[in-house]
Amino acid sequence: MATTAEVRLTATAPSWTSTAGAVASGFWRHAILRALVKAAATIYVVSTFTFVIVRLMPGNPIEIYIDKLVTEQLLSYEDALATATGKFSVDLRRPIYEQYVSYLGNLARGDLGSSILSEGTPVTALLLRYLPWTVFAVGTGLMLSFLIGISLGLMTALKRNSPTDHVVSSVSAVVSSIPDYLIGILLVVFLGVQLRWLPITQMRGVLSPGIQPGFTFEFVRDAFFHASLPIVTYVLTHTGIWMLTMKNSTLAALEEDYVTAARARGLSERRITTAYVGRNAILPLFTQFTISAGFILGGALFIEFIFVYQGLGWLLYNSINQRDYPIMQGVFLLITVSVVVANLLADLVYTKLDPRIGRG
Amino acid sequence: MSILAVEHLSIAYQTRRGAVQAVRDVSFDLDQAETLAIIGESGSGKTTLAQSLVRLSPRSATVTNGRILYRPPDGPQVDVRSLDEGRLRRYRWQGCALVFQSALNAFNPVLTIRDHFADTARAHGMGDFREQATELLDMVSLDARRVLPAFPHELSGGMRQRVLIALGLLLAPQILILDEPTTALDILTQRQVIDLLRTLKERLGFALVFISHDLSLAAELADRVITMYAGRIVETATVADLFYRPRHPYSLGLLRAVPRVSGALGNLDSIPGSPPDLIRLPPGCTYHARCPFGVDDCLKAEPPLLDVDTPAHRAACIRWQDVADAVGSFEPAAVGV
Amino acid sequence: MTATLDFLRLLKSRPVGLAGLIGIVLFVVVSFVGPLLVPLDTKVDLTAIYAPPSFAHPLGTDYQGRDVFNQIIWGGRDIMIVAFLAALLSTVIAVTFGSLGAVVGGAVDSTILAITDVILTIPRLPLLVVLAALLRLNSILILALIVGALAWPSLLRAVRAQVLSLKEREFVEAARALDLGLGHIIFAEILPNMRSYIAISFILAMTQAIYAQAGLIFLGLVPLSGTNWGVMINLAWVRGAVFFRDSLPYILSPVLAIALFQLALVSLASALEDIFNPRLRGAA
Repeated sequence: MATTAEVRLTATAPSWTSTAGAVASGFWRHAILRALVKAAATIYVVSTFTFVIVRLMPGNPIEIYIDKLVTEQLLSYEDALATATGKFSVDLRRPIYEQYVSYLGNLARGDLGSSILSEGTPVTALLLRYLPWTVFAVGTGLMLSFLIGISLGLMTALKRNSPTDHVVSSVSAVVSSIPDYLIGILLVVFLGVQLRWLPITQMRGVLSPGIQPGFTFEFVRDAFFHASLPIVTYVLTHTGIWMLTMKNSTLAALEEDYVTAARARGLSERRITTAYVGRNAILPLFTQFTISAGFILGGALFIEFIFVYQGLGWLLYNSINQRDYPIMQGVFLLITVSVVVANLLADLVYTKLDPRIGRG
Repeated sequence: MSILAVEHLSIAYQTRRGAVQAVRDVSFDLDQAETLAIIGESGSGKTTLAQSLVRLSPRSATVTNGRILYRPPDGPQVDVRSLDEGRLRRYRWQGCALVFQSALNAFNPVLTIRDHFADTARAHGMGDFREQATELLDMVSLDARRVLPAFPHELSGGMRQRVLIALGLLLAPQILILDEPTTALDILTQRQVIDLLRTLKERLGFALVFISHDLSLAAELADRVITMYAGRIVETATVADLFYRPRHPYSLGLLRAVPRVSGALGNLDSIPGSPPDLIRLPPGCTYHARCPFGVDDCLKAEPPLLDVDTPAHRAACIRWQDVADAVGSFEPAAVGV
Repeated sequence: MTATLDFLRLLKSRPVGLAGLIGIVLFVVVSFVGPLLVPLDTKVDLTAIYAPPSFAHPLGTDYQGRDVFNQIIWGGRDIMIVAFLAALLSTVIAVTFGSLGAVVGGAVDSTILAITDVILTIPRLPLLVVLAALLRLNSILILALIVGALAWPSLLRAVRAQVLSLKEREFVEAARALDLGLGHIIFAEILPNMRSYIAISFILAMTQAIYAQAGLIFLGLVPLSGTNWGVMINLAWVRGAVFFRDSLPYILSPVLAIALFQLALVSLASALEDIFNPRLRGAA
């Protein structure tokens, strides 16, 4: 007398490969679809939100800009509107609804307006110029902190309550509770000014003057030289949370019955640690990745400011200071979209790693 | 010659309140191709005992006394407790396979069933396991082509239990230990598993130990039964003797508590009270507080296992004669013995 | 009263948490009582810029010759008030809507979850920075409001998960069977069981709030007047104090003040978590 599950499996017998394949991929697509829809929805909401803030709120930047044009440059209201339209890629003479739709359309086409201060420079071009540097520094920092963090996490979980565990966990706890910008400042103060170990002023910027971008060793070395302090700050700030999450997750996995069952089957500790403990412990880290990616990109704002590293964060800060609103809007959108995309990737990888998701 | 001999095994857990005497002075023999049932309620120490047979007791448990002697037909006798890392790993699953409950958690959720077989085979130097695995899965009425590529969560509870049994027999162990093999299953699946075990035993000839609180399981499969209470063996007998001629009040109580298939409630009594505190054990016989036969003498000392009136039958009760007399007028529940 | 004593006793066996609690109390007392006892030193003495620590000036002087120690005493109050209010706001929102969604379920839950997920994905700091630029954050309340209004999503998800697991327990079913109303179920049955969880979350929300506001102030995006550890760091940076060797105490004092206060909060929170989550305790 078969149970329903067995009946289900046997019922697909005739065309096992095709039917099961269709069913399985349908489930799989379903989870992926969900992630895609969520990502698209978030981008849409953020775009709308940005539109509201920049265009609709009382005292919004566009109004301020128009006012400025009218009073300082003595333009007529219509001329001011026209200028502003060019800058913000929004036709201010049209009714709000149309502005909104065309705004969305422009976004989709990659038209984010032009800089107020540097005449004629499209925002998109600026973004593309500064984006790679942030991706480079943040990406390296994220990767390094992840690798170091999960190794330490695995180690402290396996050697729980040993002196190593206590030392590592304490140090990590202390360092993690300090805000990242303070760590940056401390690095500048101690390594650069007090101890004079590092040529802080020379390390500003993304490249030394005269170095040409290209796939040369000289370029790569120089890029790392300038990005090293930001990367170190990212790593110091973020390793702790990876370590803690991995440690908790490993401890939980170690207590699972399937670990004992694996030992009962005579499997080696090494195999158990990698395929039974490790692979299960790493799954919850993907949720952490989501949080970390957003956090690091946000923190990049401070770090790039402190180390004068011209990436997106630095651009955002400057655009705010100089009231260059189209750039500000563009950077904000780009940062948000980056986080959404990073989350999407993490979700997708998770569905591949955990067979219980998306397979129904 | 017995294939497994447990001698005076005692195991205690360290807890904040004190040491929990989970297993106390347990001794028994297991013969080749014999089926032994260890019956007891939760907290009787049966699972701790089973885990200790492959040295998988939790970290907080220590064996305070005793030996576990493994006597393989093709090798020398060894004390399981003294095995080094390498030999222990070989003993596990090849000599003695302890199979957990069929709960989803006995499987690694990110590995397929085939991976589980592969890991087991590889750990014991077995090369190509596919033929063996397919044959075993066939013996437990599963289609290997469908089961092997599946993930554990895709199988039903009954299927998982059967996979675990097949996995347990992959290396043709001398001893198969099943912990609560039917507890999480519905009646119909239980029936399948019971029939399955019987057939497998006939074909492959391993010694089977199963741990349960379910007496009917013992009635179906066992050659001999051991009942455990508060960490000790209180009765050991052949299955017929235990069911028709119990000599310990606890065994009698267990039998009386099983309802009849016919539906007539009859003398359905549950055992009043609850098991004793294993940290501070009461003086004398630990069952005294719940025992209808208890007298003052019972409190003087914990009764040793005494030979009773049938051969190879022992019970830890000084009043077993009175139990025997009481049994005379008792019909065993219709459990198909 | 006995509950407090019990709690303190539990804490005694966790020296780190106890140290954290003491640290928090110290900081709070100094920041709130201190200003009542010590007037703010606004005397500008340009002859004593970045003076080294001395008896008169235990932490030296700043770029205008004013006493640093004095500024440290006065600098914590605003930060703590904002952190407290922001944490309060985000905790209230998260707890109310998280448990509401979990208990009611259905469309309400899906809506709340959807909104939360979207806001959760938006990187908080860039958003804060943009809002700070566009609005005028000249009052403590507005700053607290903004910071708190963006911090609730992750807490809401965690609260919701907790409530979902509690929901299946018997005492909730009993309350339902007795027809005790939604408000009662949430506030009188489920939440009291989550007291410790909410307390820990509140403390962690405070650390996030401190991080956010100090960061905003450091970047110069908050036109707050008055003395404030964050303002001190901002001024030190803007005035280039960071690059002088002699001004070390001036730049270090507010940085350490914030870092130590955060450390105290985190220590207390993790000790609380250790107390209330038995699984994390070591083997008995």
